[in-house]
Amino acid sequence: MILRVLFWTGLAVLGAAALGTIALHRGEPINATWFVLAAGCCYLVAYRLYSAFIAAKLLALDNTRATPSERREDGRDFVPTNKWVLFGHHFAAIAGPGPLVGPTLAAQFGYLPGTLWLIAGAAFAGCVQDFVILFCSIRRDGKTLGEMARTEVSRRGGFIAQLAVLAIMIILLGVVALVVVNALKSSPWATFTLAMTIPIALLLGVYLRYLRPGRVLEASVIGVALVVFAVVAGQWIADSPALASRFTLGGVTLAFAIIAYGFAASALPVWLLLAPRDYLSSFIKAGAIFTLAAGILLVRPQVLMPPLTRFVDGSGPVFAGKIFPFCFITIACGAISGFHSLISSGTTPKMIQREGHARFIGYGAMLLESFVGVMAMVAACAMTPGVYFAINSPATIVGASPEAAAQTISSWGYPLSASTMTALAHAVGEQTLLNRAGGAPSLAVGMAQIFSSTIGGERLLSIWYHFAIMFEALFILTVLDAGTRVGRFMIQELGGRVWKPLGRMNWYPAILMSSAMIVAAWGYFLYQGVIDPLGGINSLWPLFGIANQLLAAVALVVATTILLKMGRLKWIWATLIPTAWLVVITMTASYQKIFSPNPRIGFLSYANALAAQIAAGQIPAAKLVETHRLIFNQRLDAIVTATLAGMILVLLVEAVVQWHAILGRGREPVLHETPYVATQWAEGD
Amino acid sequence: MRFVWQKAMRLAGRLWRGLREWCGDAAYEQYEDCAARKQCKPLLSASEFYVEQLNRKYSRPNRCC
Repeated sequence: MILRVLFWTGLAVLGAAALGTIALHRGEPINATWFVLAAGCCYLVAYRLYSAFIAAKLLALDNTRATPSERREDGRDFVPTNKWVLFGHHFAAIAGPGPLVGPTLAAQFGYLPGTLWLIAGAAFAGCVQDFVILFCSIRRDGKTLGEMARTEVSRRGGFIAQLAVLAIMIILLGVVALVVVNALKSSPWATFTLAMTIPIALLLGVYLRYLRPGRVLEASVIGVALVVFAVVAGQWIADSPALASRFTLGGVTLAFAIIAYGFAASALPVWLLLAPRDYLSSFIKAGAIFTLAAGILLVRPQVLMPPLTRFVDGSGPVFAGKIFPFCFITIACGAISGFHSLISSGTTPKMIQREGHARFIGYGAMLLESFVGVMAMVAACAMTPGVYFAINSPATIVGASPEAAAQTISSWGYPLSASTMTALAHAVGEQTLLNRAGGAPSLAVGMAQIFSSTIGGERLLSIWYHFAIMFEALFILTVLDAGTRVGRFMIQELGGRVWKPLGRMNWYPAILMSSAMIVAAWGYFLYQGVIDPLGGINSLWPLFGIANQLLAAVALVVATTILLKMGRLKWIWATLIPTAWLVVITMTASYQKIFSPNPRIGFLSYANALAAQIAAGQIPAAKLVETHRLIFNQRLDAIVTATLAGMILVLLVEAVVQWHAILGRGREPVLHETPYVATQWAEGD
Repeated sequence: MRFVWQKAMRLAGRLWRGLREWCGDAAYEQYEDCAARKQCKPLLSASEFYVEQLNRKYSRPNRCC
């Protein structure tokens, strides 16, 4: 007992010391080992103490209670699953591009704000959300977040949650597609590699459907081998002037290609394209994350970014806005993500064997994702700041040529020479690395530098870079096509209430119509991001972050309502404090994005500035149509932001009315849990 | 030495079974096993089960951002 106390106290002290070193270090670059130590120790202590407290006091997990996988076992949906296997399932589902891209973008503030938010946000907010929602869904036979909001808060609350999910899905898909476009722009090697994943996926789809149904492992081995070959073959394409020119595509062309792909993936049978891509990307994602972790531990790179940059004042080139609230909006997945609540109330609650496993799966998987975010932060900050800003800043801020970018960025205090960027582009096999905003190319450079230090050296830098680009783009596209398909189902479900034929899931005209609608919706956001001179990421990533965090607020409101009904008033601060924090940051960010007088932040002020330029005759005639479109887009973004914020406020008011009724007037709370049934499985089954 | 080898083989076996379960290779076997225990008939073929499983899995959010 004493040894255990000493061990955990020692771990906590070590974690605190590492955090203190990261926070107070100034001058010389700091080693990445401190980040691994700080994150590792904090996560272990949070899991051992805080998650145990939540499990025992807040939720009172009951291992004697039969879970849905036992009571409703059917070998299809409700399948009792070993906790390690289910952990792997759940982690693969929640770990998307967010924990990689968000920290990379937030690195513009320096490594410190993002790292602290990743660690503290995950431990006290994100993991709590995932864990509690998973528990609530287990007790309700795997009901979704929307269904729980409808039954436990109000019918209007449920409808708002459904609408919010659809809106967030559309924004998310547009933003991740923009990240892919920026990663592939003017890169024949990357474009070829990603294009090859489509016929490879089709081949695997036919293999798994007709030749060896369900043999995912062998199909994935074949697929991974082919994809790796495509990465190597991309170099031959890039080295051939005739072939390279065919695969060198601009942003708008790529945008339309991805829109067409999204439509096809949604409309085609799921076994043909979507599922095999998902299998491929799961294996490659697992391998890449493991290799990145191993690389960081082996190489222990120096973190060259300072703890705080000058851009804490809100003038950042990657995205405008101060640390509060924008650092907390930019890093969603990795700290707290509303989308996780959809996963936690999806398949996982139907497969969990015991309530006690929810702590390991719900809380633990989110901790691991947060660790992925910390590693992404290390990879991004292991570059020199000058290179980081040159890659991530739009041309309108730093200039389009290496010379202009070097001059601008050096004037900020981050030395950079034109030859450095030219040499780096050549070393990674790209025509240029300038103005490749979105996080993916800079993360790929950081990962490639770490991978090549582990295996292969400088000779393999270009192969590792394109492997990293392929890995990021592959699993972003998996999110894209899976999300488009789910969005299509949502449109059919909601639209079917207005026009019945649209709700027929197997009627092909309805499938085509709803696929076209969802693709048009996110495709519009993608297109506006591609043509935005300020860089689409500047506008759209904060919009995505706000939407995602608003959904997290919805999830925590639902969780708080359920816990109050369960009589957990004494410990309700565990969900109430993160809820309040999320409401404050999302409402502040929403207000600033709509009304800020800074055109780089406020949608309306940017639209008004453009309108003033048109009125003053400063816009050339050839650019007038595009400028009017930009003005429309900015005002549309303002309306979308206001609508989302308004919806969440309505839900919050509905919930507060419920809370008042439960606490104030002593109304007997109605809890919609499934009745208790004792498990027939012995402990250890 | 033999003891270590046997332990290693048992661990490798567990890891292999876990990997097959994680990626979905073992899904049809689990379905057959459940159907046998609950005496469900008729059984879906492996191909029918695979397509039905995919349609179900990808009709709801299952991949986060």
